[in-house]
Amino acid sequence: MWKTEAKGVAHVETAVRQCLPPCQIKCPINEDIQRTNVLISLLPRDADSAREGTLDIGDYLYEKNPFFNICGYICGICELECNYLKKGGAIRRRLLKRFLSDAYTDHLAELKGFQAVKNGEKVAVVGGGPGGLMCAYHLGKRGYEVTVIEAFDRLGGALWLVPDYRLPKDLLQLTLDTLVRVAGIEVRYNSRVGTEELPLEHLKNQGYKAVFLATGLPAPRVLTFERQVLEGQDLAGVMYGHTYLYEVSHNNIALDYFRGKKVIVTGGGNVAFDVARSARRHGAEVTVVSLEREDKDHRDGIPADEEEVRGAWEEGIRILYSRGVRKIIGENGQFKGINCPLCVSVFDEEGFNPRFDCEDCVDLEGDVLIITVGQSPDVSLLQKEGLLDEHGRFDIDHLTLQITNKPWVFVGGDVRRVGFMVEAMGEGLMAAESIDRYLSGVDMREGRRRDYEGYQIPMRRDYKREPEVPWMPPEDRMHFRMFEQGFTLDEAIEEARRCVTCGPCLSCKACVSIGFQKSLSPVEVDTARCSGCGHCVYACNYYSAHLITSGGKITSETDMFRCKSCGMCVVACPSEARRMVDDDTAERIGSVYTSLA
Amino acid sequence: MSEYKPKLVCFSCKFSWGYLTDEETISSTTENWVPVICTGKIDATHMLDAFRSGADGVLILGCPEGDCHYQDGNYEAKKRVHLIRRLLESVGIEGERIRIELSLDPEGTRIPDLVEEMRNELARLGPPKSILAAEEAPQETARARGGK
Repeated sequence: MWKTEAKGVAHVETAVRQCLPPCQIKCPINEDIQRTNVLISLLPRDADSAREGTLDIGDYLYEKNPFFNICGYICGICELECNYLKKGGAIRRRLLKRFLSDAYTDHLAELKGFQAVKNGEKVAVVGGGPGGLMCAYHLGKRGYEVTVIEAFDRLGGALWLVPDYRLPKDLLQLTLDTLVRVAGIEVRYNSRVGTEELPLEHLKNQGYKAVFLATGLPAPRVLTFERQVLEGQDLAGVMYGHTYLYEVSHNNIALDYFRGKKVIVTGGGNVAFDVARSARRHGAEVTVVSLEREDKDHRDGIPADEEEVRGAWEEGIRILYSRGVRKIIGENGQFKGINCPLCVSVFDEEGFNPRFDCEDCVDLEGDVLIITVGQSPDVSLLQKEGLLDEHGRFDIDHLTLQITNKPWVFVGGDVRRVGFMVEAMGEGLMAAESIDRYLSGVDMREGRRRDYEGYQIPMRRDYKREPEVPWMPPEDRMHFRMFEQGFTLDEAIEEARRCVTCGPCLSCKACVSIGFQKSLSPVEVDTARCSGCGHCVYACNYYSAHLITSGGKITSETDMFRCKSCGMCVVACPSEARRMVDDDTAERIGSVYTSLA
Repeated sequence: MSEYKPKLVCFSCKFSWGYLTDEETISSTTENWVPVICTGKIDATHMLDAFRSGADGVLILGCPEGDCHYQDGNYEAKKRVHLIRRLLESVGIEGERIRIELSLDPEGTRIPDLVEEMRNELARLGPPKSILAAEEAPQETARARGGK
């Protein structure tokens, strides 16, 4: 089966209602966070006994996310939506995953390859970053023969630009090697699609039935002021953050490279902070000039993670907020400094549109300027291949990532929209589903739109504070080794126990898999007995029991999406109007009582 | 009197007690042991029925304070135990015959010890006054129910 035509009629699918805990909604691949938190919380306390269970949880995560052990080091966007955030600090899911990762790393070499029967269809993935590889992994799992076409001599894309003190390179390499091996992917290194030798169309001739283009953002964005490219970016001493991190990742820069130098970094994102903190480790006195404000909650707040900003501050990096760059000052071809006006607003209704107060300017002297204000795609490739519309945007279906006039081409990852690693992975996952549907002749869109419904924090008496995560003191971490200590087994269990599991049971079922319950028993209300007193509403910690009026009578009802089958409403009911279907607790108690006689 | 062996029913929360040991192993050392998904699920009538059925005491083992998987089931159980004690005392039965312990014991090794400890206390108290006889007395005995 092989579909060549896109559906001619535009139609809007009804969205599927899906209830998830807020962390899982935030996670672009909807990882089973709650479930695995519960499983971690029930691990044995001694390392030897815990090993098997830990690997099981790792296997479970790996099934969907072959990058999970990297996420444990550099992701954690789920923590931003954690209901616990305002009650004592988010559950440190990233560190829980790092804990799993540290236990799982040695196990990666033992993982077996997919046993899927090959279906004979060939798919090409262009770009071997997290988006491309995620797509390749999931297509490999479904039996496709996948070739990853990588422009450089290594896979991983922008992941290599994350400095070693946040993500150890050997872990990254091992993760990439394992993924390729497990998914049975063929990799063509040093080959660039879109060149004369290899236009996109050639892939079709080579037998590839579909292509996922995830070429990322390989080019640094140049510095502009009021939409004009700033002069002086070719001065000696001016470089781009991307280039610098690339050299750092290849160990091409000596540890004292910037000793005694004043380095100015422009930008306020995580990459700018990677650059600043790396330069600091290379001996520089560093100033970060950020267009955005210090207050992260403000619309114009700095986009870098709080941990990055705190880390940089601890390491003695000066951060200048709300400052732009109006002029790059040079002397005899050598960089000397910048002129920074006050930035009064970054975003307006139109989007990114910074405004400045040029009356309020400061001059900043420096020896080196590292420009880290974002990345751009290889536009010439995209234009040449006819993938962009007249506005320079992809003519793409955002639900399926399929290019409208080239239905065999799918585009995703940073090249479509810049984001976090896991966002690119999410698009890789989406693309794999799309390509599978496309090649199987199944409707491309049906059932894919989701209306996520989050959960508020349940009613509870006690909240515990988030744990202190030890970092090496700044003076001891001026190197590129990890400075953050991961959780011990005990700490991981404690932190996992702190999770209030605010999401629904249906997407979790951890208690069922470990045998605490045979199934999730739904609650049934006998409306004839129910007097509408509301005791159950009061007893339920999950806002699941509520009162309704029907036929002039007030009775109670339970929202099954929110119900946790804990049975507290059943116990609270004074008229025995509530019961749990298929629950054997009462029988079990009954048989013990009978044996007493 | 030396022949008197008190009968004890022990409920324990699955999320904190003995989840690393299989149920048969604990059952083999602990008679009349009922693991429940949450101690908040133990109805007041369950507690009273134990005495009606001939138990001399009830021991409830719940999650540590602030650790309930269902948010506050352990507090609910604790509150209920407190109320049941008052009720038992009002009909002349010692309140100590029902006890709750909020703690964590994944291997469940302490379960038989705690049961034994309470059994010794019950032996010291001797057989309880019959709750059935007490209930047959004409005064109204309110049905003890949970609720916040």
